[in-house]
Amino acid sequence: MTDAVVAIEGLSIDYVVGAGRFRAVSDVSLEVPRGHVVGIVGETGCGKSTLAQAIPRLLPEPPATIGGGRILFEGIDLVQVPRWKMPQIRGTGINMIFQEPLNSLNPAFRVYDQLAEAVHIRQVREMGRASVERPEPGPFDYSRRSNPTAADAWSGKVVPGGAVPEVVHRRQVDQQSGLSRADLRKEVLDYLRLVRINDPETILDLYPHELSGGMRQRIMIAMALSEKPSLLIADEPTSALDVTIQAQVLTLMKELIEEVNTSILFISHDLGVIAETADELGVMYAGKLVEFGPVAEVFESPRHPYTKALLRAAPTRYKTDGPLLSIAGNVPNLSHPPPGCRYHPRCPIARPLCRVEPGPPLLGVEGMSPSHRSACHFPAEVPQIP
Amino acid sequence: MFWRVLRANPLTLAGFVVVAAICIAALIMVVAPHLLTAYGADQLTTDYNQAPSWQHPSGTDGIGLDIYSETLYALPLDLAIAFAIAGTAMIAGGGLGLVAGFWDRPGTIGGAVSIFVMRVTDIFLAFPSLILALAIAVSLGRGVWQLIVAILLTWWPYYVRLVRGETLAVKHLPYVTAARAAGVTDGRIVLRHILRNVLEPVVVYFTLDIGTVLVTLSTIGFVGLGLAYPGQAEWGSMMSYYQGSGLITAYPWTVLGPGLAIFVTVLAFSLLGDGLRDVLDPRSRRVLAGTGTGAITAAAPPEPPVPAAGAPGELPAGPEAPVAA
Repeated sequence: MTDAVVAIEGLSIDYVVGAGRFRAVSDVSLEVPRGHVVGIVGETGCGKSTLAQAIPRLLPEPPATIGGGRILFEGIDLVQVPRWKMPQIRGTGINMIFQEPLNSLNPAFRVYDQLAEAVHIRQVREMGRASVERPEPGPFDYSRRSNPTAADAWSGKVVPGGAVPEVVHRRQVDQQSGLSRADLRKEVLDYLRLVRINDPETILDLYPHELSGGMRQRIMIAMALSEKPSLLIADEPTSALDVTIQAQVLTLMKELIEEVNTSILFISHDLGVIAETADELGVMYAGKLVEFGPVAEVFESPRHPYTKALLRAAPTRYKTDGPLLSIAGNVPNLSHPPPGCRYHPRCPIARPLCRVEPGPPLLGVEGMSPSHRSACHFPAEVPQIP
Repeated sequence: MFWRVLRANPLTLAGFVVVAAICIAALIMVVAPHLLTAYGADQLTTDYNQAPSWQHPSGTDGIGLDIYSETLYALPLDLAIAFAIAGTAMIAGGGLGLVAGFWDRPGTIGGAVSIFVMRVTDIFLAFPSLILALAIAVSLGRGVWQLIVAILLTWWPYYVRLVRGETLAVKHLPYVTAARAAGVTDGRIVLRHILRNVLEPVVVYFTLDIGTVLVTLSTIGFVGLGLAYPGQAEWGSMMSYYQGSGLITAYPWTVLGPGLAIFVTVLAFSLLGDGLRDVLDPRSRRVLAGTGTGAITAAAPPEPPVPAAGAPGELPAGPEAPVAA
């Protein structure tokens, strides 16, 4: 974990529903390296959205509770951060694009109001950071040259001497920086142009219900990017869109990653979308991460039977004639997960050991790149599955 | 925009016009009453028990008071009391509801406050509010402030209930989560994102509530616990006085004036409140405006989610706005 924006270590998330309690995400460890796009795939109900929302602590708690593990964002364990401090990390630190473009914009506000709010949040925080970086004579050691991140804003760890960034009030920002409404408006327009919206001047004054799904999703993306987050979590950002808009949005996101320099955690059930965008791929099954590795390698030579089955079931170049294959059996009920490896009831290479012994933690696979890891007892046998 | 919505809905328009007329009349009665009536407040004439005529549009009573001008003199007071009660109840009750609805996580300070607020609300709602108001009015004695306090103490819980329910419904909607993901603080989410979205039903309820307060006010006056009339004109006390002094059978017009005033005012606010919903909701605004000008096309589905194509006249010529998806 040299330079990961976020490193998740053994994270478990439980849902407490009535008297029942089930583990939607169990013991997931994952890293998003800086500047990379990490894709997470899995069937419906495998816990990928829960994982996505747990990172910025957006899950409603209760019913969700974090059962264990750590979420290290820029070195800070978000599990330990009190709830009231989380807003300072969200937005400029971790931002999120949601699945429902139809409902993710406030119906009562114009496009301008929503975008301006996001831009303003970033401006306020940039002012806060600037006040830290201002060199002052004194015992402070400003050895750290890079900008403190949003996460540093509350921790105070970054600047030796304990110079915690002062809290800057919105009005102060406007006065000190000389940012006027016109500047704010100009920046909002810039971001609308960035997401390739024609005629942004007109769009600014519209309400969300007057826009199409693709437009709304692009505005969501503009909002997220205008805060220049170090980690952007995209939870199926294109699933609700039709294919042509999907392609547009994906191309756009890829271009924007370079422009804004953001790492992305990309959640999807669409393998094609992941292949298109991601550098690394994680595969989730029944709340567990079963395989993780460079995207091309996982696609070419999967080392977990579930990944293999998932790839075979996808309508891609792997399969151009005949009926589509499905995976036999169903996703297990997470309130009573099967004993042993969770995939064994559906696994073609399951052995008696798999019924008793839970799947191993993610282990390196022989003959593969070091980052390629699988949670199968017998990864070497996976290539033999027809 | 506002005008178009009104035009599209004749009943709302009627309510709006009457409410506007009432408010203007109240203002005139405060500033320059002689424009609307020839008599001063509590001015005794020498005409006793006169039937309605051109000189006394609503007749006179046994001591020579002109009912029409007494009713008009009561108007600003009645309106002010109604607005004070409903307004204070809306702000206080609504604020409590907002807080209790948003910070309701069990096991936190907010959750404890929320439970406390809601139980107190339940206790107040469990009492028959009119009886409670009467009891408080009796113990406080006569007077405008006493009357306001008595009704107000029974009035706020309804707003708590309303706003809390709306807040609970809104706070888990995707756009609130999206705002949180954008780093918006809780306080700002409540005051901006949630408040704006619960405002619409609350304002509608408030408008309808003005009428309800007026009726309650009159009821308290009618049972004789309101203001002292003659002396301080208030519609409920006027009706109580004329009904109690037996004049209602011999000289029915004495009751007709204040009775009609209550009826018209309450009805007007109700009509306005019903239509206000459409004005406040940005989603229905354009469609309604479209209906008003006849611009709505047959292809537009009548129900929300309203497509932008609902009112072509309102839309910019942006090439992507209605068709991109």
